[in-house]
Amino acid sequence: MSIAIQLEHASKRYRTGRSRTFVDLVASSFDGLRGKSTDVHSATRGKIDSTIHALRDVSFEVPEGAGLGIIGRNGAGKTTLLKLISRVTWPTSGKVRVAGHVVSLIELGAGFHPELTGRENVYLGAGLFGLTRKAIDRQFDAIVEFADVERLIDTPMKRYSSGLYARLGFSVAIHSNPDIVLVDEVLSVGDASFRRRALEALRGLIANGKTVLFISHDMWNVRRLCSQILWMEEGQVRAYGEAGEIAERYMNEVNLQALANQGTSLQSHRGGTGEVRFEAVETFNGAGAATSLFTSDDTLVVRGAYTASKAVQGPVFQVAIVDVDTGVIVTTASSAGRQDPGVVVGPGEIEVRFTSLPLRARQYILRLSITDAHQLASYDTITAGPRFAVTGQGGGVDSLADEQDGLVNLPFDVVHRTGRARAGSRI
Amino acid sequence: MAVHQLTDKPPRMSLAAYFELLMNLTRREVKGRYSQSLFGAGWAIAQPLAMMAVFTLVFSRLGQMPSGGAPYPLFAFSALVPWFFFSNSVNSGTTSLVTYRNIVTKTYFPREIVPLAQVGSRLVDLAAASALFALLMAYYNVGVGSWIALVPIFVLLLVLFTLGVTLTTSAINVFYRDVSPVVQIGLQLWLYLTPVAYPLSAVPDKYRPYFLLNPLTGVVEGLRAVLVFDRAPEWEVVSISAALIVGLLIASIALFKSTDKYFADVI
Repeated sequence: MSIAIQLEHASKRYRTGRSRTFVDLVASSFDGLRGKSTDVHSATRGKIDSTIHALRDVSFEVPEGAGLGIIGRNGAGKTTLLKLISRVTWPTSGKVRVAGHVVSLIELGAGFHPELTGRENVYLGAGLFGLTRKAIDRQFDAIVEFADVERLIDTPMKRYSSGLYARLGFSVAIHSNPDIVLVDEVLSVGDASFRRRALEALRGLIANGKTVLFISHDMWNVRRLCSQILWMEEGQVRAYGEAGEIAERYMNEVNLQALANQGTSLQSHRGGTGEVRFEAVETFNGAGAATSLFTSDDTLVVRGAYTASKAVQGPVFQVAIVDVDTGVIVTTASSAGRQDPGVVVGPGEIEVRFTSLPLRARQYILRLSITDAHQLASYDTITAGPRFAVTGQGGGVDSLADEQDGLVNLPFDVVHRTGRARAGSRI
Repeated sequence: MAVHQLTDKPPRMSLAAYFELLMNLTRREVKGRYSQSLFGAGWAIAQPLAMMAVFTLVFSRLGQMPSGGAPYPLFAFSALVPWFFFSNSVNSGTTSLVTYRNIVTKTYFPREIVPLAQVGSRLVDLAAASALFALLMAYYNVGVGSWIALVPIFVLLLVLFTLGVTLTTSAINVFYRDVSPVVQIGLQLWLYLTPVAYPLSAVPDKYRPYFLLNPLTGVVEGLRAVLVFDRAPEWEVVSISAALIVGLLIASIALFKSTDKYFADVI
């Protein structure tokens, strides 16, 4: 299979610091006369500027027709990589080679002008991607239909909503006859149905032999779209390989780091009247070892030590599992109706056991509270307690179909019968 | 399916796509400038018209400036039209790449199209002001003769010179923002150092060589000669200007193309 993108020891240095002025120009010319090295990137004296290595010695190849996910933390060099491939910028050293027409979606609708109508902007935007009027004419209906802007196509784009703006930008890009499409976190705009269609369109491009590079922090989208993942870290390639494997390694590390960084102390400003307060909350696995990483088969034990500063009758302890991204409360476990602790005073301990974790692989936060017996008054509320992560089961890309999105794993069976349905209401 | 070769060269744009993009960006400029303004493109003629009135008062009525027998307002306007084309193009062209930062840092396309579109958009203003000039000619009852056939040459020289200056200042302005204020001040002085309000013949002989180093001198004097006076331009002046203009244009293209790959990094 032929190569679509090839990087050979590519490095990119940027100057940081203040913008350059004429004084710097004179100064750097002076330095140049005295034999100090100057180049267009560092025409200043002293410590005013420093260079940062956005990319260091990056080498990899992308075969034609691949879907490549690019992951990594902010500042890892992902966007710089796309800018090099799209020729917006050039490597400081090394080679960047591409084969075919590159279309970058670093920002949707970047070339649009708000005073122009949607129609005019389609021609302007597609023109920036190198299309001729004739070629745009042929694609025009498809562009408009995909963006779903028929009604507003002759309206100035300043009247468009930001979602619509982005939709038209995306539509123009994917209809610009690309061989290579670069997508940088642009699917975070627009509504859910558009995101779905955009992902479908990108999948369609891959199916048609186009190469798609896809930066996203959303590991689900990456794995749905990409068979390979490039993991960038501090401007270097950390790993490059099969998507399922890299994604799992990445998620485990991200989780571990995030969990390792969390302070052991509970947040100081918290709700509640304070008669009973948690002193410490820890998570353990079924074997009793303190940990923050669980698989879905593991038992999660939440142990909270508390102190009651005065005698309290029948307090209720609650532990909830909160999804980091959506804030959805997955489960609330309450001591109410289970075991009446009677009057508590002084130190004590509450332990909640979740005997399995049918949750998707991601991070969760524990939310804890202590209320009075009627659950009306709150003694203590920890909205962001300890975090824990559920790690993947190592299934490859194939096991990651659309229907595996969401938050929880419900055990299920599928039964298929032919002939007339035996039961249930007819639609 | 077409087989593509791996290459580390910048992508090539077809000539048709290049010109259509230039047209579209020019249209975007024109439309952006005059939309939601009541007077619209009328502003393009207000500027030289107002300056003509002031020059007439100051130089002709108060200063008794000679105008070679032509009505002074017409004499001044014939030079103010190309002058404002030049100065407005350079002014907005200088900052154009920075203004278009958003697309320069996010998509690849031939960068020179941005300042080129600025110059292109001022051609619309130039056409509007030229139409007014024709009306003024009729008003003052000044006829045109066969020398008018040279007008396209002078317009071409004007456009090429404007391109040369704009490409240079816009490229340098990406790296050093000082260029923009320098250009603004420079243009104000340049207007008075160009034979716009006065004829070149009014310049003392010892200063004349310096005036000939200004390429606009040949353009402005030449246009005035063939339009207002219906006579041959001073060929010596025109040829010096033309040589300077071509030289500057080549140098400016070389400068622009050798720096444009760094634009997105420093802009």
